[in-house]
Amino acid sequence: MPTETSRAAAGVIHDLGYRRYDGPRFGRSWIVAALAWHSFRSAFGLGRGAKAKIVPVIAFVALLLPAIVNAFAMSQGSARQVDYDTYVPALRDLIMLVFVAVQAPELVSRDLRSRVLPLYFSRPIKPADYPLAKYLGFTSACLVMLEVPLLALYGGAVANVHGGSAVWAETKALIPGLLIGLLWAVTLAAISLFLASMTGRRGFATGTVAIGFLLTYTLAEILLQVESPALGHSAGPPGSGAAPAVAVPLAEKVAGLFSPFTLLQGVRLWLGGTNPGDNVPKPGAFGAVYALVLIALVALSLYGLAARYRKARLS
Amino acid sequence: MNPSPPAERPGAVIEATALTKVYPGGVTALAGLTVAFAPGVTGLIGANGAGKSTLIKILLGLLEPTQGMAKVLGYDCVKEGMSIRQFVGYMPEHDCLPTDISATEFVTHMARMSGLPKTAARERAAEALRHVGLHEERYRQIGTYSTGMKQRVKLAQALAGDPRLLLLDEPTNGLDPAGRNAMLELIERIGAEFGIPIVVASHLLGEIERICDRLVAIEAGHLLRADTMDSFTRASQTLLIEVEEGTAALAQELARRGVRAQPYQRALLVPIAGMSTYDAVRDSVAALGLPLSRLEQRRHQVEEIFRDDAQPGQYTQLEAADAY
Repeated sequence: MPTETSRAAAGVIHDLGYRRYDGPRFGRSWIVAALAWHSFRSAFGLGRGAKAKIVPVIAFVALLLPAIVNAFAMSQGSARQVDYDTYVPALRDLIMLVFVAVQAPELVSRDLRSRVLPLYFSRPIKPADYPLAKYLGFTSACLVMLEVPLLALYGGAVANVHGGSAVWAETKALIPGLLIGLLWAVTLAAISLFLASMTGRRGFATGTVAIGFLLTYTLAEILLQVESPALGHSAGPPGSGAAPAVAVPLAEKVAGLFSPFTLLQGVRLWLGGTNPGDNVPKPGAFGAVYALVLIALVALSLYGLAARYRKARLS
Repeated sequence: MNPSPPAERPGAVIEATALTKVYPGGVTALAGLTVAFAPGVTGLIGANGAGKSTLIKILLGLLEPTQGMAKVLGYDCVKEGMSIRQFVGYMPEHDCLPTDISATEFVTHMARMSGLPKTAARERAAEALRHVGLHEERYRQIGTYSTGMKQRVKLAQALAGDPRLLLLDEPTNGLDPAGRNAMLELIERIGAEFGIPIVVASHLLGEIERICDRLVAIEAGHLLRADTMDSFTRASQTLLIEVEEGTAALAQELARRGVRAQPYQRALLVPIAGMSTYDAVRDSVAALGLPLSRLEQRRHQVEEIFRDDAQPGQYTQLEAADAY
C-alpha cells in the first residue's frame, strides 16, 4: 500500500520530467487525412520493410512497361501503339488484380489481425472515419498505379509527335483515359477493401480478393466467349459511335455484367469508348445497366466496409 | 477544430448517474450505476463480466447507455464523445499492437491519430516511450518484444497524446510477477508525478490495491462500494484462525462470546473489532483446548473476495464484512 512518504521518495528518485502538451490538437478531418496518407503510403510498402515493397514496385514497373515500349517505338517512327482509355487491357487487368489482392489486405487485414482497431476508435474520430480514410488512401494508391503509366505514355507520345495539333490530339485522347482510370481506382479500391476486411489473415484476404476478381472475370469471359463466335467479334466498326452496326444479343451484354473488369469496359464503351477490351460488346442503351450495376457494386462494397467496422468497434 | 484542454477541476473526473446498459440480447451489463471518480489513481474492481469494460466503452463515448448519463472531464459521454476521446488515453485489455513495425513508429502514428501534428507526435512518442522505460529497443519491431515490453508500448500510446485522464483496462494482464510490479510502479508514478488521473480496471484487487488511492468496486452492473483505499482495508481487517480439529465447536464458542466467525476454506475468519477480538479468540481456543495451528491477521480480506475464481455470491461477504 502506498504511503505518502514512499510516494514522495519515489518522486525524488525518479524525476521523469513529464511535460504537458499545449500545442495544437487537430480534429477529425485532419486525423482522417493523416490516416488516409498513412494508408496510401502502406499501399506501396513505404514505411515498412523492403519485403513490403516488392509487389507494389514490380506491379508499378510492369504497368509502366507499355508506356516505355511505346515511347521507344514512337521514337523509331511508328504511330502510338497503346491507347489511353484501355491501356493494355490484359496486362492492366492482371496487374491491378495482383496489386489490390496483395495490398488491400495490407491496409485493412493487418489492423484486424493485430486488433489495433479499439485504439483507433478511442481516438477523436467516428467509426465510419476509419474505413473512409482507408478507402481514400487506397483509391489514391490505385490512382497512382493507373494514372502514372498513362501520364508516362502521354509524355512519351508528346515527345515524339510534332506540332501543336498533334499534341492537342494526344491531350484530348489522354483526358478520357484519366477519367477511366479514376473510375477503375474508385471501383477496385471499394471492392478489394471490402473483401479484404472480411478476414484478419492476410493470406486468406489476398485469396478472397484474388478469387473474387478472378472467378467473376473468368465467368464473364467464358460467357462472353460462348456468345461471341456467332457474331465473330463484330462489335461495329471503330468510330461508329453509340449505335453498333450489328445488333449484339442481350445474353452477351448480360454476360459482361458478371465481373468488375468487364463492367468497367462496358461502362467505358457506353460512355463513347471505341477500343475493344476484354471481349465486351458495345452495350448500346444497355450500357445504362452496366453503369447502374457498377454503381450498385461500389455502393454495396462501401456499405459493407462501413458495416464491418460498425461491428468491429466494440471488440 | 482545436479544442482547448478541459480546465483542471478539483471535483470528479468521471461522474456516472444511474447508468444502465442493456445489450440487445437482453443482457444487463450496468444496472443503475451511480459513482464518481476523483483525481488520483482509482481502482475499478469487479469480476469478469461485472460491467467494467462496458463502463469504459460508455465513458469513451463508444457505447450509448440505455439509461442514465455520464460525464468525463465535464464532457457528456453521449454528446461529446469526440472531446472526451481527445483528452482520454485508453489502454485496452487485450493485445492491440501490430508486430511488424517499431514501437517508435507505432506510438508516433497513434499520437497523430490523437490529432497531434507530425513533429509533436514524434517528440511525444519518444518521450512517452522513455517514460515507460523503453530505450534503444524502441527502434526494434514490436513482434520481437516480451509481453512486459508490449504492455509498456500500449501504455505509451495512451500517454503520448498528453491525456487528462487515463483509462487502463487490466494493465497487468499476462505479466509475470516482476513485470506486474514494474507496470504497477509505472502507473503509480504516472498518477503521482505526472498528475494524470488514472482509472485502473482489474479483477485482481490484490494486485492493484497497493497503487490505488481509491477503489470503486462493481458487481453485476451495480456499485458495490466506492471509498478510499484506507477505509477499504480498515474495514476488511480480519483474523484468520485455523485449528487442527474442532472448527465448528470453535465457531460456536466464538459466537457465544459475541464474535461472529465465518468459515473460510478449512479455517475461520473473524472481523477485528479491537483488542477484545484477540482476547475472545484466545479464550475460546483455550477453553476448548483446541490445537491452534494458525493465527494470522489479514489486512486484505477484500483480496480474497475479488479473486479470479470467486463466485458471484462471494461478493456478499464483503457486504457482510461492511455490516459489522
